[in-house]
Amino acid sequence: MKIDQSLPLEYSTQQNQLNILGFWVFIGAEIMLFGTLFAAYFVLVDRTGNGPTGADIFEITPVLFETFILLTSSFTIGLGIHAMRKGYTKAMITFYVLTLLLGVVFIGFEVYEFIHYVHVGAGLQTSAFTATLLTTLGTHGAHVTFGVFWGMFIVYQLIQRGLTPETANKSFIFSLYWHFLDVVWIFIFSFIYLKGMV
Amino acid sequence: MSDLFPLKQVMGFALSIILTIIAACVYFFDMSMPITMTILLVTAFIQAGLQLVVFMHASETKDKPAIYTNIYYALIIALVTIFGTLLCMIWGYL
Repeated sequence: MKIDQSLPLEYSTQQNQLNILGFWVFIGAEIMLFGTLFAAYFVLVDRTGNGPTGADIFEITPVLFETFILLTSSFTIGLGIHAMRKGYTKAMITFYVLTLLLGVVFIGFEVYEFIHYVHVGAGLQTSAFTATLLTTLGTHGAHVTFGVFWGMFIVYQLIQRGLTPETANKSFIFSLYWHFLDVVWIFIFSFIYLKGMV
Repeated sequence: MSDLFPLKQVMGFALSIILTIIAACVYFFDMSMPITMTILLVTAFIQAGLQLVVFMHASETKDKPAIYTNIYYALIIALVTIFGTLLCMIWGYL
């Protein structure tokens, strides 16, 4: 394994560079996946049948909380990568744990939101609108849930092995994933919630 | 302590909070639909770009051209899917 000391640890071997580039390709595929979900949602948003409309069921307060929580978690994991590049393992792990905790709080809000929707009669089978809404939100929520577990294993490895080219690479790739989920949420926030409430 | 909070990322975070507040204004103030959509589109895409450059370090290595080619390609596919679907399922029947 040839280690290039002039580069940050996560880029220091050729394998690491390829892993990061490969993950960008995966993110490209994820962009297309969410593109199709948004396409379905925009087509079916007015097909509410006998069920409620977006303006009937959306609540601004939990949505704003979710948005600020996810933005903050995206910031803390960015700080984690910054600490990693400076070699501060402890600070990095702290930022990662903070990120994952914010992720758990986000999921908590989303679960509350889903219970609320079902409670007011907007279940998966109510109308084409609620079906695409819950599928789109659920796909994002499932990604966040998966990310929390993934991040837990990364933190575990960081504690076990410390910062090596491999753990740094895994941590960096996880940060790309987490930022990407924040980007998707920005579009959900703008074009599902805000557009649906005006 | 300031070692842990680089100015670039703090500014990026502050800017994304401001952009979120601007976007949320469409809910709290009465605006026409074209203005609402313009505000939402502009704030959402600036925020996405911000994440990409400030937090995802997309421009820092020699892989930059490959990363951007890939992202633009994915973005074009996603936008063509969304607007193509709208065109043939909604706008064509107005």
